Amino acid sequence: MQPSLIVRSGRSAWKGPYFVAFPNLKQALEDNVPIRTQARSCTILPNFVGIRFMVHNGKDYLPVTVTQDMVGHKLGEFAHTKKRFIYRMTKNK
Amino acid sequence: MVHVLGVALPDLQLARLALTNFYGIGHKTAQRLCARLQIHDRCKIRDLTAQQITELASFLASPSTVSPLRRMPLASPTFQPPPASTPIEMLRKRVAELSKPTGAEPLRNLKIEAEGRRVVRENIAHQRMIGSYVGKRHAMGLPVRGQNTQSNAKTAKKLNRVNRFG
Repeated sequence: MQPSLIVRSGRSAWKGPYFVAFPNLKQALEDNVPIRTQARSCTILPNFVGIRFMVHNGKDYLPVTVTQDMVGHKLGEFAHTKKRFIYRMTKNK
Repeated sequence: MVHVLGVALPDLQLARLALTNFYGIGHKTAQRLCARLQIHDRCKIRDLTAQQITELASFLASPSTVSPLRRMPLASPTFQPPPASTPIEMLRKRVAELSKPTGAEPLRNLKIEAEGRRVVRENIAHQRMIGSYVGKRHAMGLPVRGQNTQSNAKTAKKLNRVNRFG
């Protein structure tokens, strides 16, 4: 994580990044069980790397596998909330 | 018209305004640059000496390798001069100590023109690679920060793409 990421996020540096303490973090890493969460605003910390999440997008839970490059971003950035519009001729499909 | 690193600086413009013609230099950075090169506030481009223009060009060519500015400290009002019997070497040492450049140099990380554009492209490529919403919106050529897209969104449609040119 770049040190300037907190500064650039616009959040006070003394608060540190916002994150949710997942109680089953260690177990999830060992068993490779995805963590179901609605905490979209949780910052991805370096110790999340390799863990699978199921992040809520308002409707259902989307799989997100955390990699090294995602550190410093939010979980919600990887669970898209909007569907792309596709034109369909009939409504009954 | 003066050309510095391929960018035209109009003769009649104030130096601090003309410097914003560079990609990556805004008003704030331009003011800092002028202060660094000792160009005064009302100075126009045509009033710059040849030496100042060379200095400017050499500074902008590689801001990261430029030699740090020498500090010129002023004596405080309560300054007590050392006694006249102090050996001259000691005085020289003290002066050299005081005029050592400070570490902070905000212009050191200046990225202009091609280098600045490369940084922007790299940031977009990073977002795209990790599959975030920002990267997805760039790939779609749509606004990234929740603006409306029912009409317009012209700037985003023009600029937002994975291999951004502007």
